[in-house]
Amino acid sequence: MTWLLIILYKSVWGGIAALGFAALFNVPVRSFFHIFLFGGIGVFIKFTLLHFNFNIALSSLAGAVAIGFLSIPAAHYKHTPPLIFYIPAVIPMIPGILAYRMILGLISLTGNPKVATYGATLSETVNYGLKVVFILISLSVGVVIPMLLLRKESVKDIKVPFTRK
Amino acid sequence: MAEIENTPDVEEMKEMADVLLKTGTLLMSAGANTGRVRTTVHRMAEAFGYSIDLQISQRSIWLTMLNDHGASIFTIVRVTPSHIINFRTISGISKMSWSLFEEPWSIHQLRDELQRLEQLPRFPRWLVLTLVGLAGAGFCSLADGSPIELAFTFVASFLGLYVRQEALKGGFNPYVSVYFSAFTASLIAGSASKLGLSDSQNHAYVTSVLFLIPGVPLINSFSDILDGNVQNGVTRGFVGFLISFSIALGILTSALIYQF
Repeated sequence: MTWLLIILYKSVWGGIAALGFAALFNVPVRSFFHIFLFGGIGVFIKFTLLHFNFNIALSSLAGAVAIGFLSIPAAHYKHTPPLIFYIPAVIPMIPGILAYRMILGLISLTGNPKVATYGATLSETVNYGLKVVFILISLSVGVVIPMLLLRKESVKDIKVPFTRK
Repeated sequence: MAEIENTPDVEEMKEMADVLLKTGTLLMSAGANTGRVRTTVHRMAEAFGYSIDLQISQRSIWLTMLNDHGASIFTIVRVTPSHIINFRTISGISKMSWSLFEEPWSIHQLRDELQRLEQLPRFPRWLVLTLVGLAGAGFCSLADGSPIELAFTFVASFLGLYVRQEALKGGFNPYVSVYFSAFTASLIAGSASKLGLSDSQNHAYVTSVLFLIPGVPLINSFSDILDGNVQNGVTRGFVGFLISFSIALGILTSALIYQF
């Protein structure tokens, strides 16, 4: 069960990373705790699925969709639009390392690469690049999927159980 | 074409249009997606019994007041102030637009409320810097960084954001500010590898710049495109791309110095 502990540890850091962006975006103070929680949940889902060998884009999508769904009741409860929760919360899932490797690959491809290693560098770069693109699309589309599925213009029109009026 | 007579009715309409545009531009500059700007402004107009049409772009909003037959009475434009993300303003405007339906507001009340929302306080600088530093450490931890690397990323992100704020204050172009910031952060975090405190993966170095990620432009870009506001979506996507490019340039400059 050590993997679970490691993922929980990472989730806490994921929540903290979300809080950093919350401060940067000047969110209302009352939404801090939910942003921390959702950031952690997103990271937890992503890394858990990755542990069970799911595709990285799909794992990120699952995390983002979960955050999107959770943002709707939170928006009701805290009287604030859902984007205030989901934007800071998905940012910790952005694949920084992969993007960095892609850029390094692009740089070495634009230089004067050795013929022997060109093919390997090219395929690595394309692989990293595609992953980055698909993860970014998954994250951005994932958080709005709940709103698309519920087909309402505003969260106020969605009936959420157990909320105060 | 006949001139519009400045009857009291039209005067009132102009005042209303001004308040509506003020709301729209404020939302846009605070980082709301186009769909939200559109629905909020329409909702407010509806609450006051006016019908309007909107054209929203990244840097300006056009508003046309319509008469009962759907014909245009007049059109006005307002330029959007520079985009500085402020979710507290978005939240406040959302609350305000809903409360219009519960109690009657006068235009003056609306104007005062907008004035207040525009000048909402931001978090103290030290708190933002600390939290963003911790966010940097969080990113490093997500990338399997060791505790020492986490500490380096904290300092790097903290000082990186400080440099960005100072550069923006000094009137630098936003992209140039991002470049300076990414360069500073990666230069500090990269020293961990040079001091032998980091393994070959350079976790601290890579993750120190992630606090600069253009999350709002990138996510809003996709929500705009899905909403059918393709033009704004493409614009925002390109802004996000340019910011990412500035980050890459900053990190590559320090790579050149450190010979990574």
